[in-house]
Amino acid sequence: MLEPLQLVVNGERRSLDVEPRTLLVHALRDGLGLTGAHIGCDTSQCGACTVLLDGRAVKSCTLLALQAEGAEITTIESLASDGEMHPIQRSFVENHGLQCGFCTPGLILTATDLLSRDPDPSDDTIRHSLRGNFCRCTGYETIVESIRAAGAEMRGSVGR
Amino acid sequence: MSEAHIGVARPRIDAPDKVTGATKFGADGYVHGLLHARLVLSTEAHARIRAIHGDDALSVPGVVAVLTAADLPTATTGTDRAAEPLAREEVVFAGQPVAMVVAETEAAAEDGAEVVMVELETLPPVVDLEDAMRPGSALARLVEKAEGGSDLESIHAGVDHGQEDAEQEQLSANVLDRVQRKNGDAAAALDASEVVVFGTFRTPWVYQAYLEPQVATTWLEPSGTLVVSTGTQGSFVSRKELARAFGLPLDRVRVVAEPLGGSFGGKLALIEPLAAGATLALRRPVRLVLTRGEDFLATNPASAQVTHLRVGARKDGTFTGIEARMLVDRGTNAGWGVEGITSSLLVGPYRWEAHDIVGYGIQTNRFTFGAYRAPGAPTAAFALESLLDELAEKLGIDPIEIRLRNAVVEGDIGISGNAYPTIGAVEVLERIREHPLWSARASLPENEGIGFAAGYWPGGNEPAAAICRVDTDGTMTVVTSSVDMSGVDTGFAVIAAAAFGLDPNKVRVVFADTATGPYSGASGGSKVTYTVGKAVEGAARAARVKVLAAASQELEIAPDDLEVVDGVVRAIGAPDRSITVEEIVGKALRYGGRYEPIEGHGGSAQTRGAPSVAAHLSHVRVDRDTGEVELLRHVIAQDVGRALNPALVEGQMRGGAAQGMGWALFERLDHDEDGRLLTGSFLDYAIPVAERVPEIDTLIVEVPAPDGPFGAKGIGEAPVVGAAPAISNAVAAATGVRIHELPMTPPRVWQALRQDSGPTETPA
Amino acid sequence: MIPAPVRYARATSLEHAFQLLAEPDSKILAGGQSLIPVMKLRIARPSLVVDISQLELRGIDVRGDELHVGALTTWDELLDARELERPALAAIGECVRGIGDLQVRNRGTVGGSLAHADPASDMPAVLLALGATLQLRSPEGERDLRVAEFFAGPFTTALSAQELITHIVVPLPAPGSGSAYVSVEHPASGFALAGAAALVGRDGVSRVAVTGVAGQPSLLVSGDPHEALEAAEIFGDRFASAEYRRELASVLVRRAVERAAERTKGDA
Repeated sequence: MLEPLQLVVNGERRSLDVEPRTLLVHALRDGLGLTGAHIGCDTSQCGACTVLLDGRAVKSCTLLALQAEGAEITTIESLASDGEMHPIQRSFVENHGLQCGFCTPGLILTATDLLSRDPDPSDDTIRHSLRGNFCRCTGYETIVESIRAAGAEMRGSVGR
Repeated sequence: MSEAHIGVARPRIDAPDKVTGATKFGADGYVHGLLHARLVLSTEAHARIRAIHGDDALSVPGVVAVLTAADLPTATTGTDRAAEPLAREEVVFAGQPVAMVVAETEAAAEDGAEVVMVELETLPPVVDLEDAMRPGSALARLVEKAEGGSDLESIHAGVDHGQEDAEQEQLSANVLDRVQRKNGDAAAALDASEVVVFGTFRTPWVYQAYLEPQVATTWLEPSGTLVVSTGTQGSFVSRKELARAFGLPLDRVRVVAEPLGGSFGGKLALIEPLAAGATLALRRPVRLVLTRGEDFLATNPASAQVTHLRVGARKDGTFTGIEARMLVDRGTNAGWGVEGITSSLLVGPYRWEAHDIVGYGIQTNRFTFGAYRAPGAPTAAFALESLLDELAEKLGIDPIEIRLRNAVVEGDIGISGNAYPTIGAVEVLERIREHPLWSARASLPENEGIGFAAGYWPGGNEPAAAICRVDTDGTMTVVTSSVDMSGVDTGFAVIAAAAFGLDPNKVRVVFADTATGPYSGASGGSKVTYTVGKAVEGAARAARVKVLAAASQELEIAPDDLEVVDGVVRAIGAPDRSITVEEIVGKALRYGGRYEPIEGHGGSAQTRGAPSVAAHLSHVRVDRDTGEVELLRHVIAQDVGRALNPALVEGQMRGGAAQGMGWALFERLDHDEDGRLLTGSFLDYAIPVAERVPEIDTLIVEVPAPDGPFGAKGIGEAPVVGAAPAISNAVAAATGVRIHELPMTPPRVWQALRQDSGPTETPA
Repeated sequence: MIPAPVRYARATSLEHAFQLLAEPDSKILAGGQSLIPVMKLRIARPSLVVDISQLELRGIDVRGDELHVGALTTWDELLDARELERPALAAIGECVRGIGDLQVRNRGTVGGSLAHADPASDMPAVLLALGATLQLRSPEGERDLRVAEFFAGPFTTALSAQELITHIVVPLPAPGSGSAYVSVEHPASGFALAGAAALVGRDGVSRVAVTGVAGQPSLLVSGDPHEALEAAEIFGDRFASAEYRRELASVLVRRAVERAAERTKGDA
């Protein structure tokens, strides 16, 4: 029933045994204790389970864990390095881009993907890119601000 | 005491944990030996349970048990959701839990639940609200064993139930409650009015749609105490309900409220009895995390309502009479309904010469009614604010001006016969009228419109307590048992810091469970900052008294001549004669120490209300060919008493406005004629997403609440109330057509524009 | 929610995929954005999923007067493709932008979506209007099928059990053509309540297709597309009546044709 699975998660090789039907989000949460990926909708819409797969945002509830073998997975837990928050994380804190925080890890990872390709997105682009991330608390405006501000900071830090 | 830190925007104290994924929500904690539960839900809206067959499920590898009502050690025969977590004999809505499969893994539990066979004998479902109240209607519930009323209503708002009246009306037994609020002769006042308008307004069942599905994890301590780790708005409420349901002494139930991934009124003692029942039956730790589908089907959304409303005014715009019949769909909730609240809020923050409002709480075979942010208020405001715009138009008076002429002020007598406390209605209306968007409405392109509406929430009260403790590093720990729904902990830090004399960054706020914490009611009704915040202020002041007493001895200066500023106790007027709080605590918390620990306990028992008024402007564009309504911009002004942290206040204002946009355009739980839910996932039930929500300007108005901590009050609910009517008024302004039913989906708007014949309803 | 028990295999070649697909209840898994959700709902219960994502069926290129899109090309790759930056193919990008969301576009593949055949799916309308052809492969060999012949009803296609889509081939429209896709989304699912795609030639002649309004997308072949819609069997439900959808489709057809015609002016 169980199959051995090797995943590269947050730069580390991790081994676990899973049923083939195991979704990536369950492998991360239950198998590896990475509970920053949340389960919110079951229908592949809310984006609370978003992680990066080879740098691209994907919904870990819509992926069998076995499909992710061979790819590099990044979860919210590894975005900060050496205790320093990632600029996007810091921006969400400073610009009040969260309330209950359940959707926040997914939003931050979607924003990471977006800003990696479009360092200076318009507000419309940001809002369109968040179609797959629900937030019920904030009304989105501070989230858009957080992403905009993070983009500006990241552009500054790579030297323009 | 220093107020320098009040009114400063600062990040939520829980933000770093939340952005790094460190926060442990209810489904995240590891529990050794944990079993997982999956529910079996009724597929019928109304039926008798003939039999439940669990044999196939028990043969699924990993399945430990298939539990039915008979297996749970419930101690009562009540038919409310806590007393009857799994249906006993009668199923009263499609989605009601009838069995629970408990297994070693979530997957096995799901495999098991799939093969549980439930034999039901179908009964006539009661799904039409208006039919349900007619004498002779089929009954939505045959087995009725209500016991001792639940006090869940009082969590949400402080309202009375109007007066008993002698008038007899023939009603079906499905009508569980009839509330009449009457003053003067409303009919005569309407007859004497220059202008009278009327309409029937319909709103659907609406789902709280918190992002985190409901979750509870339960286990037994070696002592036999039941521990319940759960996302709940009120740990003491959950404890009380569990103790009642299972006949346990209060001290044998320990409820630990985990961080909430959104709630908005929906998470209160609904799921805990299921997990607890399984743990008590199996003596094993059990976790129940609802799937989103279960959360849609089996929880407690906001009532559908039908409001027949008639209002009048004189030529000068003075409001005269208001007459209404309000039909509230309670679903299967026999304990309470929103008819009491909605009928009292229908008058809005306005003066009326006479009113006659009747509210009916009607049972049907749909869901179990529950609270959703400002329960009963958005629906009332939708009806009232729509008609007030019609009055204004007929009288040729500016819509904001006509409301200003009638806005209540402190001392005016409200619908319950009591005088209004401090209320910022006039201030809010005047403030939003100055926003440039309001003056822009005269010069808009075709098919665009700007609408206005106001709404208010009366606030709630419940005694609460808090503890402040200062440690040897000079930092303070605030302890409450109040669940943080909206950032109140961050507000508590500022309140405690200001009341004591510390930098807020030195204040940590922790949440205690029911075994360890001071009392606090459920978070709801916009009462936490106003009541628990007041207790925190008292606790910090009490701790300050202790630190001043000690410093007085150290400095040989009378306490009255000392102040505490940013963690330093110093002589007033001679700041170099000082000692740090840290030093004093060091002298107290040690073997042989000289001073009492620097700790304080504070309590509050607020008696006056602290209502909050919020007003909205909405700018929309309507596509006449497709019926689509695009939100272009939104403005909200709200009286918040005092903004302890403007960033968080604005967050509540925007978040409330966005949920109001959901009411206006997107959200509807819909059943088929047999009472089966058709919109049981986010593929069918739309909530506002980023690209549908416009920029939202916030205007904070501060009319200090006299009894609130530093003038602050609860502000979470008011912002949702007036958003939908502002949008519908904007649609009317854009198209000339008024829509009487929410949500204003493209097909509905298209239909209304095609008919374009104004109100077609008969008067109430 | 967790899928029913299933086995998983990763195909290393087309031949390997065909061998695996010999199992009667097997299903092809590409990006999984359509299949995994229905497996979680347990509507689909394959005994085996055959992951074909490693096969060399990705990429976009222009060969002669045809655009070839590998079936495993993701929506996201399609959005970025420079080959589509011409007025005649503008409908494709316009359509892709509205599909799913960023995460779904990162994983979801063109071929997977077509094979799933959701009747409210957007892209089929565009491919119909553009006159696209699908290249199919099975152990029996290769065949080409026009998109118009591919869809057989809701979630039903002409694919046989061991057959898969390898490429989507779009004939490059004549110079001076323009295309467009316009839709109104269901506010929850994001799928089309109605969607219309149009290809307009420099001569003003247009080809129009609609989706979301019936069991399958359809090319409006008779002269006046609005008349064709009047006669068509249109689907209705409690959210949007057939009457509304018919009107909506008619409005969207008009808009798509107008926008496509506008684009004919932009092409050299």
